Amino acid sequence: MIRAFAVAVLLSFAAALPAGAKERLVIGMTQFPSTLHPLIDSMLAKSYALAMGMRPFTAYDPEWRLVCMLCVELPTIENGGAVRETTSEGKEGIAVTYAIRPDARWGDGAPVTTRDVAFAVEVGKHPQSGVASAELFRRILELEIHDDRRFTLHLDRVTFDYNDVGVLVLPAHIDRANFDADPAEYRNRTAFDADSANPGLWFGPYRVVRVEPGAAIELKRNPTWWGKPAAFGTVIIRIVENTAALEVNLRSGAIDYIAGELGLSLDQAAAMEQREGGAWDFAYKAGLIYEHIDLNLDNPALADVRVRRALLHAIDRETISKRLFFGRQPVAHGPVSPLDWVYDPDLPKTPFDPDAARRLLDEAGWTSDGPGAPRRNAAGEPLRLELGTTAGNRSRELVQQVLQAAWKDVGIDVRIRNQPARVFFGETVSKRQFPGLAMYAWLSSPESVPRSTLHSTMIPTAENNWSGQNYTGYRNPDVDRLLDEIEVELDRGKRRALWAELQAAYARDLPVLPLYFRATPYVFPKWLKGVTPTGHQYPTTLWIEEWRAEE
Amino acid sequence: MSPAALAWLRFRRHRAGLAGAVFLLLLAAAAWSAPLIEAALGIDAESVDLFSRYAPPSAAHPLGADDLGRDLLARLLRGGQVSLSVGLAAAFIAALIGTGLGLLAGYRGGAFDTALMRLTDGVIALPLLPLLIVLAAVDPAKLGLDDGTDASLFRVIAIVALVGWTTVARLVRAAALAARAQDYVRAARALGAGSGRIALRHILPNVASPILVATTLSVGNIILFESVLSFLGLGIQPPAASWGNMLAHAQETIWQAPRLAVWPGLLIFATVIAFNFLGDALQDALDPRS
Amino acid sequence: MSRFLAGRLLQAAIVLAVMSFVVYGLIGLMPGDPIDAMIAADPELTSEDTERLKALYGLDRPVWERYLAWAGQALGGDFGHSRIYHRPALDLLAERLPHTALLMGLAFALSVAIALPTGIFAALKANRFADYAVNFLCFAGISTPPFWLAIMAMLLFSVTLGWLPATGWPAAGDAGWLERLRHLVLPVAVLGLLSAGGITRYVRASMREALRQDYVRTARAKGLSRAAVVRRHVLRNAMIPVVTILALDMGALFSGALITEIMFGYPGMGALIYNAVMANDYNLALVGLLFATFTTLAANIAADGAYVALDPRIAFRAGA
Repeated sequence: MIRAFAVAVLLSFAAALPAGAKERLVIGMTQFPSTLHPLIDSMLAKSYALAMGMRPFTAYDPEWRLVCMLCVELPTIENGGAVRETTSEGKEGIAVTYAIRPDARWGDGAPVTTRDVAFAVEVGKHPQSGVASAELFRRILELEIHDDRRFTLHLDRVTFDYNDVGVLVLPAHIDRANFDADPAEYRNRTAFDADSANPGLWFGPYRVVRVEPGAAIELKRNPTWWGKPAAFGTVIIRIVENTAALEVNLRSGAIDYIAGELGLSLDQAAAMEQREGGAWDFAYKAGLIYEHIDLNLDNPALADVRVRRALLHAIDRETISKRLFFGRQPVAHGPVSPLDWVYDPDLPKTPFDPDAARRLLDEAGWTSDGPGAPRRNAAGEPLRLELGTTAGNRSRELVQQVLQAAWKDVGIDVRIRNQPARVFFGETVSKRQFPGLAMYAWLSSPESVPRSTLHSTMIPTAENNWSGQNYTGYRNPDVDRLLDEIEVELDRGKRRALWAELQAAYARDLPVLPLYFRATPYVFPKWLKGVTPTGHQYPTTLWIEEWRAEE
Repeated sequence: MSPAALAWLRFRRHRAGLAGAVFLLLLAAAAWSAPLIEAALGIDAESVDLFSRYAPPSAAHPLGADDLGRDLLARLLRGGQVSLSVGLAAAFIAALIGTGLGLLAGYRGGAFDTALMRLTDGVIALPLLPLLIVLAAVDPAKLGLDDGTDASLFRVIAIVALVGWTTVARLVRAAALAARAQDYVRAARALGAGSGRIALRHILPNVASPILVATTLSVGNIILFESVLSFLGLGIQPPAASWGNMLAHAQETIWQAPRLAVWPGLLIFATVIAFNFLGDALQDALDPRS
Repeated sequence: MSRFLAGRLLQAAIVLAVMSFVVYGLIGLMPGDPIDAMIAADPELTSEDTERLKALYGLDRPVWERYLAWAGQALGGDFGHSRIYHRPALDLLAERLPHTALLMGLAFALSVAIALPTGIFAALKANRFADYAVNFLCFAGISTPPFWLAIMAMLLFSVTLGWLPATGWPAAGDAGWLERLRHLVLPVAVLGLLSAGGITRYVRASMREALRQDYVRTARAKGLSRAAVVRRHVLRNAMIPVVTILALDMGALFSGALITEIMFGYPGMGALIYNAVMANDYNLALVGLLFATFTTLAANIAADGAYVALDPRIAFRAGA
């Protein structure tokens, strides 16, 4: 009896051990957030860390549904939370009313109120505050405050995503003084960076207790958090920029888990799985990162859709995905992810067919001089194109060299010219200086309308100060119309039909060669449970209270 | 016995130096006859084969295949061409700049000399790597230069040469200063020889051996340096191969295919060490005091 | 001596001023300004946003104008804010400085501790097997790519053997000093071993040079034992050039520290400067580079001082 009891005690002790032993979770990540201020700068590293200490009003959950986090109920036209109205300029606008959760309190006990919303809107609207994306704030015509909890946003236009607002609170009781002192200096003086460990800045499951710039962020459980208490008392985010060193750290146990969002490359994770799959749990989530090749449509050769189609027919994306990415990255046939509800599974596809590619090139007047040599047109010019991407991105460089070899097979001479990410994005792509092909990725949110990349008014030129991201120079009145209509169509059924038309036009015109949707690899230690990859830009840490250690 | 024969005798005694020289000659011969070797073995540095990624050594691929199924041996040979070219070219240009400036400073003297020596002091004292990172990140297009496909190669050569001339400049200046006071130089001047002629005919031959030694030693350093720049993402850019970028790329797959990192690492190591031994041997051979 | 110091300090100030302008200009030549980088990261940024942000960060003005504005402020003690950390650049550097100083100090001590006895030993055993062995090891140290050695050391000691942590810095903020030291072992060893090779060779060369001098023969002729001669005369004379070389080596050591810091995730100045350059963080990159230059120059001046102190024959002339 005593023996049995002792065994039982031992067993319960052993069972309790992992949870007790894992009071602390060390997460490794490759990038340090430039700031912890929710509105200044936008980068994944920041949203990853911030989501532990703060929650936006609304976010897309792992099932890609828009849900309320800081608000009580998602306001919609159907439930009366959003009401169409006429703006003072006589245009069609919308009034959206939110209620802050009554149990939301900052870490120092002060309640989260509409004063904090008012402060956030003021900061967002101030031209010198340094807010990165001011689009939402430009759309807010007026903030109407009803009481401590309830407020209404009057927006200047009706879009289908009218109720998606993100982080719209800043701790007025702490940070307002810094802002009022000098709005232009606010981005350097904000308590989020100057005094990050102030508990009054955080209301999420964790609050920041220590920041070592460039090295680590330490968070502890926040007692004022309204939801399920987080399982780990302490979370430490450790920055190791070199991915090889990051992997060594994971293996040596210096870090428990690598953030899937900002961690190992697919190659690294897949290699780990092949060699020692039993020691870890693996998850791969292909989502909204759309790898593609922009074609400069001002290039005479590329202006011909037959050449563009031939380029796509000539490459075997299925095999690339299978061999280089272990089949984890689905081939893209257009800009819309198959996980998105507006994806049209019947859209026309351009399969691997080198003979079709050769035929199309012949039709387009590029005739072959024999195998190996580049094709020439009637004027004797060779079919020579330049392909650029971000130097140092290993997987892109690999794909690039495979594509180069495939195109050589059909008589297209592709020269590789890569540049560091800063040059590539800062000059070459954004000012349309790439003469031929540019390979990179778009990151979008669920059902985001590709207006800035496809609308003809979005072609960057010197005259419009290089605004817009239609880098290919794509012009199609039908597509312009579809983009305009999708944005303001609130009926889901009709919107889906418009989306299908848009995807068909894209597949027909091929202003861009779709490659695949990038997969994010997650490597979990066996004991870590409850992390649900999302596949979109909202990080897993928005649900960190679900993470736990289990045997 | 002539001085050259004496030097050769001394050089031959330095076995490590001799081994280094032989190794480097063989390596260079192999690298530059890469097309022949490839043809003979039926391998190819560029053909991508996604079905033999990370293939182990076999008859088809003597050293295995890399992460794109390209033959590792062929890549190493091509990479050797690039790495050796970078090392030799940058060292040569640096020696040229250093010799020119050193001769001018030592022979002319005066304010120019002072200014130049302050400049060398300054450059030597700088924390070079961070500065070179800035230099390597400069966009040649903003300077009005065209950046073609080999831009990264020329850039690495240029920035290394730009800061690498100081050692040679100091050596040459010191030698020129010493030579200026020598009787034969004074005699030549009295005979009406121009200063350019004196510098080239009388001073340069006397400093040739220290220049040779310093340059030999620096080739190794430059090859090493290219690998560091590649590691930081600022070196030779793919698809061109260099040992540095092969090594830097291989570290991510170190578990999967350690071979991909071992070979370029080993070659860098062996080459740098060979250049060092060679330089060491040259020093012993050319320095009459030893 | 004070005139000598004043001269050297003035010279250092000029180097710093020139450096600040050159570096500022170079950073201006780097492609893509910070806002362009932001556009790439956030597809929702509009042209209005970029114009507003560029004006806000002063990026719409020409480089020289920005430099003058910066220099004016810097002379007043305000070195500006880092763009990537949103904090005063000087504060950030001040936080990192002790870390880098610790890393470099320990590595330097280690390399000197290895190099001095080994170099002297090799010089005394010149041209024997021991000498060749030392020489080979030195060249091995000189010829190894630092990032390569770092990853190999991590693989062996952290993963395979599990003896030492793979990072240079403990994750927890409350780690004790013993824990901190344990984390420092690998980075210090890597950095120290790599620079030991070069220093050993200098020590050996310097010792051999000193052993060849006439006074050694004289002292031996007077009947002093070889050990006594080495201890009393050779060492002191051999150390003079070594001190200079050590000071000149500070720049190289700092470069090595940069790589080591990146590999081991160590929060030091080198990694900070690298990140600042890569992210186009003008203020931080500039102040960091100037600071690093300042430190190496200071080390040089100190070395010159030591040189003068060690060797009374050298006159107090700048650049002697």
